Amino acid sequence: MFLQPDDFWSFKEWLLRPNAFLESALLQGIVLIVLAIVLGLIVGYIISSARYGPGEGFYAVARATRDLLRFDLPGTSFRRVMALARLAFKEAIRRKVLFVVGLFVVVLLLAGWYLNPESDDPARLYISFVLTATNYLILALALFISAFSLPADIKNRTIYTIVTKPVRATEIVLGRMIGFIGVGTLMLVPMGLASYVFVVRGLRHTHNEVADVKETSGGRLVGETDYVQMHKHTFTIDSDGLGLTDIVRGHRHVVTRDSDGTFTIGPPTGALRARIPSYGEIEFLDRSGNVDEKGIDVGNEQLAGGYGSAGIARFAGIVREARKMQHGYVEGGTLGAAIYTFDQVTPERYPDGFPIDISIRAYRSYKGDIESGLRGSLTMKHPDKPIESNPIAFVVDEYDIDEKVLPVEIEGTDGEQTRMLNAFTDLVNEQGQMQIILKCLDRSQYLGATKSSLYLRPSENTFAWNMFKAYASIWLQMAMVTAFGVMFSTFLSGPVAMVATAACVLLGFSAEQVYDTRHYIDVGISRGGGPIESMVRILRQDAMTTELDVDTIAAKVIKTADAGIVYALDAIATSLPNLPKMVGTAEYAASGIDIFAALLARHAFATAGYCLLAFLVSYFFLKSREIAA
Amino acid sequence: MANDATVVADSAGIQSSPTPASPAVGSGVVIETRNLSKIYRDFWGRKKVHALKSLDIEVRQGEIFGLLGPNGSGKSTTIKLILGLLFPTSGRVLVFDKDATETQKNERIGYLPEESYLYKFLTAEETLDFYGRLFDMSGAERKKRVDELIQLVGLQGARHRQLREYSKGMTRRVGLAQALINNPDLILLDEPTTGLDPIGSREMKDLILSLRDQGKTVLLCSHQLADVQDVCDRVAILHQGELKELGRVSDLLKVQDVTEVHARGLSEDAKIEIAEVIRRHGGTVESIDNPTATMEDLFLNIVRESEARPGARRVSSTGESAAGNTGSSEGA
Repeated sequence: MFLQPDDFWSFKEWLLRPNAFLESALLQGIVLIVLAIVLGLIVGYIISSARYGPGEGFYAVARATRDLLRFDLPGTSFRRVMALARLAFKEAIRRKVLFVVGLFVVVLLLAGWYLNPESDDPARLYISFVLTATNYLILALALFISAFSLPADIKNRTIYTIVTKPVRATEIVLGRMIGFIGVGTLMLVPMGLASYVFVVRGLRHTHNEVADVKETSGGRLVGETDYVQMHKHTFTIDSDGLGLTDIVRGHRHVVTRDSDGTFTIGPPTGALRARIPSYGEIEFLDRSGNVDEKGIDVGNEQLAGGYGSAGIARFAGIVREARKMQHGYVEGGTLGAAIYTFDQVTPERYPDGFPIDISIRAYRSYKGDIESGLRGSLTMKHPDKPIESNPIAFVVDEYDIDEKVLPVEIEGTDGEQTRMLNAFTDLVNEQGQMQIILKCLDRSQYLGATKSSLYLRPSENTFAWNMFKAYASIWLQMAMVTAFGVMFSTFLSGPVAMVATAACVLLGFSAEQVYDTRHYIDVGISRGGGPIESMVRILRQDAMTTELDVDTIAAKVIKTADAGIVYALDAIATSLPNLPKMVGTAEYAASGIDIFAALLARHAFATAGYCLLAFLVSYFFLKSREIAA
Repeated sequence: MANDATVVADSAGIQSSPTPASPAVGSGVVIETRNLSKIYRDFWGRKKVHALKSLDIEVRQGEIFGLLGPNGSGKSTTIKLILGLLFPTSGRVLVFDKDATETQKNERIGYLPEESYLYKFLTAEETLDFYGRLFDMSGAERKKRVDELIQLVGLQGARHRQLREYSKGMTRRVGLAQALINNPDLILLDEPTTGLDPIGSREMKDLILSLRDQGKTVLLCSHQLADVQDVCDRVAILHQGELKELGRVSDLLKVQDVTEVHARGLSEDAKIEIAEVIRRHGGTVESIDNPTATMEDLFLNIVRESEARPGARRVSSTGESAAGNTGSSEGA
């Protein structure tokens, strides 16, 4: 999995952005809420002064604000909120929304037929399928139940008997949100359990027989398993009767030879996991051995994307560059290298050597030996002193996570002599840091790496826990969509509220593209322009990068209008939650990487913030609305 | 069967018309509207309907106040303004001396809407329990109150059925029960007897009177004039959003120069003699007749009798038996 710089942020770094507060999530949240309040007051004032005249209008707005702080917030009763939540919950249940769970199970059953069993990485396929299916299903459902309920109550006037009780607007809004989130939870739990069982059972298989067992030197046995689920393994068994198969399709089996000479092949292991990575800081050396910030650039992959992480600073135009990390390349057969510095290298964390996962890219400047792949080497080095191990060569596996274990005791040089080194005593400095150097061994070929390409793996979590976290992320999205749906339904009719919520979700999903478009307009990169210009180009069948072929005035008008539209879209997209990032947690689970706690905390905090925002907006709309009109 | 007779004499001399028991009207004003106006506008702010024009009424504590008028006269608009469901275009509504848009007033208000807008997927018990929660009542209190009210509106047998299965009359009863859940001081009833059969209608009216006797204030609006006449102490008559008449029912309906005498057991001779006496005093006899009962009384009597003696009832072609039955109860 390929992570971007902001994925590594801790919760605090994300919230406060030390040294760059303008980019912080906290500032963005505060600006958003303040803006919502100010805009709300202005719009409220305009509407009520149109209705009652300027003086009365002011009082109306002031009264609503006073009511919120003096009566409605302090008067909000937990019992009433829960009564309304229970009602919303019962309503949804008695409308038989739980059928969707049944539908989901049917989808899973059918999916069993269509998910390709010949896939190289069936675990990824299964996990990303169930998570994506659940995600979109739950979001669609949250959209439907939240947007239609309140308008229906107003339309068939059941709301009359509610608002003529001492029920605050705060309670109506909170009750709905909590009730529908409850419904969503009720649906998500069985869907999650069904998905988990589906993935685990779908990947389970047993090989029963062995074939071609040959004895090699030292009493070791080499053989093959039978062909099950479109694959087979080769295995080696040590003289003590214990052995492992090779990794095929992301899993392996334990093979034991029993005393009576029969072989037992265990269930698949290693397919479903949650690696906890420990990332290091990366720096590059260029071909002559000088420190280089980025490594060699072999393309323009970093051109677009990643603006979103700059928050308000990007929107205000202070930060302009793309924030996407690119692979830095290391040239083979030179002094070029990628140096990773890892923290907290202690014997407690790595008692049996250093488990290291490598997923690097290869760039070939000539075809070379296409069968064997490029070769690289890893060297363990003291960060400050010239002590380093001998390089450990390996063949680059470009499309999988290559798992290795670096030994604690290794031969190397301390600058004067070659001897056995102990990693913890010889290669780790006082701060507990150790470096690992990646080099390419093939001349004129290149290996590409980013910070996330190579990491130590001190421990693992259970797959079940990781799935739980992935579902927690879906739950948060569901809560957010519900809050937005309820918010829109306080002042729009059901279908319109649903479309508005759906538009927000879609715009949230395409926020990065909007940022890209704005960036191109800002810096004058020709990429097809804004919506009107793009439409003109499509109709004229013009290429994206040519000059817009209309007369000067028309071009001026089009570009100005486009800039206006794109800036407006940008403003909306900036104020919406970053849903792609939240959906992205599925990628962690599918890649077998433990979902970072910081990431989940960020999502949870952002969700809470957006729910608060939706709550405030809903309150004012409901309060200022004539229920019986 | 000519024992009962009504004497209607056109004379100012005899003052004997029955006055309804005078309610204990307190001096406190419960609802006050000041120059209340409401204009409905369309989306673009253009004026559609001037639904209410400068309404000034006061509803005092302990009285039954009726809002009367044809369809579209502004009755419902007034009630919605009092409840805060609508905001006035100009003027003010004060309920318990608070602005009508404030939610706190609802603690002391019970409201029965025109149709019972209830959640069809709840049972009667769940419905009342839910509304009890909205008043922040404790569990024990809610249970007690729900039992009382289900008893009061006579839904013991149907308390666990979903409202979607209810008849219109039953839904109405649940609606009434929810309006009383908080033991309110002020009860607003929008068309309280629509959808009820005559028995239900009678019970509703009796209940309204008993609420008044408990010292509660009732505001009802209706176009069932008979209902209004039966229960209201004071009425306001609206037409096209304007107040046309306001006053005590007894005063408004009293025909000042006609005298009514009800008597039982008079012979034909006595009737002639009475007519003679009236003539001697300068009055004009308009009619000396047996009174007719209302259809409501007839119906209620038949039902009561049928409950006492189930089985087929003999129906005479002349309808005499029916007349006799109503007559006997009328004198009580």
